[in-house]
Amino acid sequence: MIEHTQGYDALTNPSDAILSAIGIEHSYDGKTNVLSGVNVTLRQGSLVMVVGRSASGKTTLVKILANVIKPTRGQVNLKINGGHLTRPIAYIPQHLGLVRNLTSLDNVLMGALGYTPTWRSLIKKFDRGVYDKAMDILSELGIKDKAEKKIWHLSGGERQRVAIARALIQNPRIILADEFVAQLDVITAMEILEIMKKLVQRNIALLVTTHDVSLVRKYADRVIMMNKGNILDTHDASQDISLEEILKTIQ
Amino acid sequence: MTTIVVGVLGALGLVSFFHLGLFDLSSLLRAASNLRQFILETFPPQFEILPALMHAIWETIQISFAGTLLGLFLSLPLAFLAARNLFGRWVAGAVRLIVGGIRTVPSILFGVIFVIAFGLGPTAGTWGVALYTVGYLAKLYYEAFEAVDVEVIEAVKSTGCNRLQLFRFVIVPETANTMISQLLFMFEYNIRASTMMGFVGAGGIGYYMVGYVQMLQYQHLLTTLILTFLVVMTIDYLSLRIRSVITVAKN
Ligand SMILES: Nc1ncnc2c1ncn2[C@@H]1O[C@H](COP(=O)(O)OP(=O)(O)O)[C@@H](O)[C@H]1O
Ligand SMILES: [Mg+2]
Repeated sequence: MIEHTQGYDALTNPSDAILSAIGIEHSYDGKTNVLSGVNVTLRQGSLVMVVGRSASGKTTLVKILANVIKPTRGQVNLKINGGHLTRPIAYIPQHLGLVRNLTSLDNVLMGALGYTPTWRSLIKKFDRGVYDKAMDILSELGIKDKAEKKIWHLSGGERQRVAIARALIQNPRIILADEFVAQLDVITAMEILEIMKKLVQRNIALLVTTHDVSLVRKYADRVIMMNKGNILDTHDASQDISLEEILKTIQ
Repeated sequence: MTTIVVGVLGALGLVSFFHLGLFDLSSLLRAASNLRQFILETFPPQFEILPALMHAIWETIQISFAGTLLGLFLSLPLAFLAARNLFGRWVAGAVRLIVGGIRTVPSILFGVIFVIAFGLGPTAGTWGVALYTVGYLAKLYYEAFEAVDVEVIEAVKSTGCNRLQLFRFVIVPETANTMISQLLFMFEYNIRASTMMGFVGAGGIGYYMVGYVQMLQYQHLLTTLILTFLVVMTIDYLSLRIRSVITVAKN
């Protein structure tokens, strides 16, 4: 806890933090704390990985950052300047949260619901520009030919891309993805993470949770290690931390 | 413990059997001979009245179909408001109370009420079936809505959409198969409810059944029952076939 507070001060110059969560505590049952005083900051154009064993509170943290649930205590601050943004934060849950009975394109268009008038969206009359953008994103992610396919016909990697596309059409500055590549084989997982790397270069900040520490060194700009609702350690320039050290910390 | 329960139930049963005249030997014998007479007078069925009955059974099918559809239109908004994953406890609770209230009214009573409102005829029967449908269909639907994967709801909600959009893009597509199959089941079931509507003069074949009983034309009554039986079986069969196709398509 103290270690983390030091890390938090040292690693982040408050001026380039676009998201900061301070003193987050959370309890589902009003008795036990699932998160006990967590501080996280996210910088523009960085990829942060949160690692920790299951039940360490990763999902809860992501939901709080995404404003899906309200923390019992603490606050989340967004600091975003310039640009007319529609949804600053896009959230991709653990099992992606796609509507399996609809097509890839429909799922991507759902990302535009927040800025499409209700009555028009109900009859599926999205702006031409929104359609074009959805198709552009799908083709950029290499699944344009799957646009009219229903989700349950897609492979795990293709579904992952649809979820990314739905996040991107929200014009987010931050993407939060829970257990992002957990269900994928290693090769596909690396392909997806390469895509994420490119997004970071476009100045999108990414926070990805995983229980698979092997991906951290290659992809993360920063790693946050969690255990039992606490952040034990935070490392910048993740290259200089060994796998063994991470494993030892979070066990 | 079990012995006591069985003993008490047995005693209660004996007392009520006695009260209801089930031990009155002379009345039992009289009933048997009456029934024998009734059955003798019932056979053989008279098929020359079939053409006249066709019109009435067709009306019953229409009452069932239109009533189910009308019930669907009334059920959708109620089920939407009663789903606790879309609305708060108070709104959902109040609407559930209304739906539960509707469910406690027997279909035949709805028939009587709408005969008072619209006069004798199939319009009253259609409204009666519709209201009866609402009591069950709305409940089946809000339960299906609540079973939708919470992760999908959270993910789409986080795009900034409102409840109507959520309903249109998540709840309906995710539950469409269940909704259709429950609607067919309701239609199938409503053929019986529509038959009863005729008992109170609210249209359809039931009117003839009551009429033949009152005029002691038991052979005609049997013909009517056979016709109704055939229609019920045919519709059950068709509906079962369609529903199994839908369930297969789902998996
Ligand atoms: N909706 C919930 N209700 C009650 N307890 C929950 C809920 N979600 C998670 N928990 C509990 O919170 C703890 C942390 O869970 P979670 O945030 O899912 O961790 P992780 O994602 O690291 O596996 C676990 O002990 C889990 O059982
Ligand atoms: Mg988790």
